[in-house]
Amino acid sequence: MRILVAVDQNPYSAHAVSEVARLAANTWANVTLLGVHTRMSPAGAASRDWTESHPLPGAISSYRETFLKYFKEDECPYIQREFGYELIERKKGVWDELYVAKSARKELKVRIRLGNPVKGILAEAQEEEIDLIVLGCDNSHGCEWEGLSGIPQKVVNDATCSVLVAKKKKKVDKIVCCLDHDLVSQQSLEMINQLVTLHKAKLEIVGLTEGKELKGEVEQKMEAILKYYTARDIEPWIEIVELASLDAFISQEAKWGLMALWMGKKSMLEKVFPKGKVGKLIKGSESSVLILR
Amino acid sequence: MIKTLVSLNADLASSIALRFVCRMAEVVKMGIETIHVEETDSEGNPPGTGWVRRTWEKGLLGTAEAEISQLINAERSSCPTLGSPKMMVGEREAEILRELEEESYDLLVEGILLSFDASHFENRMRSKLYKKMPCPLLLVKNLVGLKKIALLVEDHTDLGTLVPIFSKLFEEATLEYDLLRVILQKPGRLSFKKDVQDKEVPASGDADEMLTNVRNMLVEAGSSPQEVKTIRDIPARIADSLQEYSLVASCVPRQMARKSPMLEVLSRVPSAVLLCWQ
Repeated sequence: MRILVAVDQNPYSAHAVSEVARLAANTWANVTLLGVHTRMSPAGAASRDWTESHPLPGAISSYRETFLKYFKEDECPYIQREFGYELIERKKGVWDELYVAKSARKELKVRIRLGNPVKGILAEAQEEEIDLIVLGCDNSHGCEWEGLSGIPQKVVNDATCSVLVAKKKKKVDKIVCCLDHDLVSQQSLEMINQLVTLHKAKLEIVGLTEGKELKGEVEQKMEAILKYYTARDIEPWIEIVELASLDAFISQEAKWGLMALWMGKKSMLEKVFPKGKVGKLIKGSESSVLILR
Repeated sequence: MIKTLVSLNADLASSIALRFVCRMAEVVKMGIETIHVEETDSEGNPPGTGWVRRTWEKGLLGTAEAEISQLINAERSSCPTLGSPKMMVGEREAEILRELEEESYDLLVEGILLSFDASHFENRMRSKLYKKMPCPLLLVKNLVGLKKIALLVEDHTDLGTLVPIFSKLFEEATLEYDLLRVILQKPGRLSFKKDVQDKEVPASGDADEMLTNVRNMLVEAGSSPQEVKTIRDIPARIADSLQEYSLVASCVPRQMARKSPMLEVLSRVPSAVLLCWQ
């Protein structure tokens, strides 16, 4: 898995980094810490002057240290190790003294982009073939990011991969996953599995219906998902919700901590839950939001 | 041994119900039979009699039998005593009712998916089968580990019906249960400090007498609740507080009022609901 954590110098970004560190400790994902600086120095993007005065470079360094603290030093897959000269048996009875330098088993990239934050995040996600973008936001000001409104919402709307908007100070007691189609990737199931384990949360799988009954393929997919998780000693609850009641349902369930929506081409959610509503969910909900693609 | 009939369709709700019953059989002595009734469509009147009718029924049951057998085979490893299902053609509720009466079952089990829309459960409770069935009903909504049971009583609960049935079903089970006296409040009512304190209160006064009476009846019948308490709240919050229980048991009238607060509680409980009829 490849995870991109988009950060700025605010506390909600530190929370996002911690969430990703816990996830990476279990999954050994390749991780990119991406800082986005929206204001360029008067001399233009090539100038390094801004790095001396702006808090972002220092914050990113601090986030890297925070991330690495979640691993024991001798077990950390992200640290480049150099062991010096070692005797290596080249063939039976013949030994060479070679300089052995082992690289990190997993990537931890730390990067800063200058310019429009949404474009920067999405460009990075595309170039690095990211599976999951994670970012935090200031929930006390309608999910602002770097003092600007709408950034997480735009990232969620325009990303082609899954996006987690991690809200700070909201303990995740239950993860509520909604689906209305049967195209659910193995990776997304595993991602939810990891989040349930990390947060020691309950899991609820919600089938969305257009009438009273579930579509046959959705019901079959939910059965497969139920079997997947029970085989891993997770007992999800199953619930059905009419699409017309989804707003009310989300308002009620937001208290549990994490709301996940399986969206995608076959999903009616793209129509019933258009960009404006997804934005409203991210902005207004007290829970974290995970859009699965 | 609790003689149990599990009504199956080829759907997720039935799959969950069957798995739940198999888990329950690990802690409760149960003899499990399964049944599927294939309903004809509204214009599917059975043709003729004798071999003609039998051939027609056989054709109708063909696919259903394969699907139901697949469902049962998936559970046989954890529930080896599961036999072949009884397959019938006809009006579903009438056939199940006949089977319950003729074979004197102690319990009927059905699956129903938990729904955000309470009317889903409420409409199910208006079933003609439930109005006439001679035994208790276990409605399974989710597959949960069997850990603890909640036995709910209200002031007008028919204890003479509830206690013997509950005791018989769980007399040899190694399951703990709590006895909960439920006082249902209407939503929108102001919550005064006293009410807030009383949400979960130790028994006192008349409640004390009632709960003591129920407790004594249960002890006399051979079991003892782990905790005894009164909960006073609106249906939605009472249902929330019951989430920790694997099974919620109660005694209800066969014809519950459409807006019955207890019906709302039972519709919102996410695990399994055991109903005996008063």
